[in-house]
Amino acid sequence: MAVPLSQMWAVSSYVIKQKLKRNKHYPLVLMLEPLFRCNLSCAGCGKIQYPDHILNKRLTPEQCWAAAEECGAPMVSIPGGEPLIHPEIDKIVEGLIERKKYIYLCTNALLLKRKLDLFKPSKYLTFSVHMDGLKEEHDMAVCRDGTYEIAYEAMKEALKRGFRVTTNTTLFDGANPEHVQKFFDEMMKLNVEGMMLSPGYSYQKAPDQEHFLHRDKTKKLFSEIFKNRKRSWRFNLSPNFIEFLQGKIDYDCTPWGNPTYNIFGWQRPCYLLQEGYVKTFKELIEKTDWSQYGQHSGNAKCRDCMVHCGYEATSVNDTFGSLSGFVRTVKSTIAYS
Amino acid sequence: MPQDIKTHGHREASLQGRNFQPASLQETSEAIDQAFDYRGDVTLTLKDNQVMEGYLFNRDTDQQQVEVFVKGNSTPLTLNYSQIVGIAFTGEDTANGKSWEAWMTKKASERTAEAEQARQAAIARGEL
Repeated sequence: MAVPLSQMWAVSSYVIKQKLKRNKHYPLVLMLEPLFRCNLSCAGCGKIQYPDHILNKRLTPEQCWAAAEECGAPMVSIPGGEPLIHPEIDKIVEGLIERKKYIYLCTNALLLKRKLDLFKPSKYLTFSVHMDGLKEEHDMAVCRDGTYEIAYEAMKEALKRGFRVTTNTTLFDGANPEHVQKFFDEMMKLNVEGMMLSPGYSYQKAPDQEHFLHRDKTKKLFSEIFKNRKRSWRFNLSPNFIEFLQGKIDYDCTPWGNPTYNIFGWQRPCYLLQEGYVKTFKELIEKTDWSQYGQHSGNAKCRDCMVHCGYEATSVNDTFGSLSGFVRTVKSTIAYS
Repeated sequence: MPQDIKTHGHREASLQGRNFQPASLQETSEAIDQAFDYRGDVTLTLKDNQVMEGYLFNRDTDQQQVEVFVKGNSTPLTLNYSQIVGIAFTGEDTANGKSWEAWMTKKASERTAEAEQARQAAIARGEL
């Protein structure tokens, strides 16, 4: 089982509740960025490109908890920056657990082994470790040799101590499907709970355009990866999202599904586009013209985006939105189980 | 391979070192848009001759306001467009030359040296 039943139940009942309330713009996962500072310096990463006085800013635990309460999403993803650098990350996590939020702490795991003692295993806490492939691919992607081994050892230790551990992998143009499959095998051998995958985000003004995946290439790559899928592979993704990545389902983006909060406020409109910030979650939801975003909107910035944070919420919504959506999910679940 | 999906927009040429003294509200608005996309500090000169350097992280085109984290201040400052008479791109453009493409065009030895420098900096900050 990739995700515990209690989590599935919490998310399902939350979504059904939103459906009954006819709340269209409900959040599924809060993207909580408590800092932008990182201990890696990966080329192309826009999150660390700020002046020092901005990189030195931190959200307080109280600000983090208030954002989680204000947003109300059942899951909280903590990316960054590297969240384990935050001096009060344990306190932040503890407070979110008290609020019964399912947390995905996204980390490059360079500090994980050293900081594990700060945390207690809990069904609410998952370390989501950034792994962009096997050793060669991963170390190259993060621009530092030796990173794969450190992360691998840290995951092993975390699993040994009873923590939930998943991986998150971003795939770019040029990714080798066979290597990706071998990577899946390796992570399964390690016995991580599940793997999260996403294509690299491509938009009009992104640097190094040729490395980002465009829609057709994304579908081709994921179709090749899943062509000879093994039953042993476990994913921390909804099965419909995997179908979508292969072009078997057409979805539009749910940009409000993963709202982002950081030191600047609530980011408009989504995790990837930075068009400004508002002070409250209510303002974000009510004052954003959502019709301007998503591939069907015609917005050039959204044209090639098939990223997890925009489309996972769509696939979850599809499951609970209609009988046909539910049947589709059951079929995909059987196919990927 | 680029590491992340979070890449910020690419600029053809960095604005670092440029200094704008807008002659109209329209020009102020255009310069603010540039400052909003800029990944470094800017120095703002206000109508009352106050000068401040900080990171302009937000702008509201409807309210005609910007928000700035002035260096050394923990809370952001809100300013009206009409208060701003000068915008200089004084801080280092932290995004300039940081693309994956730029990284790959470097020699292997340069990449190794830069990676080591970044590692040492993280160690010095107590983050490794």
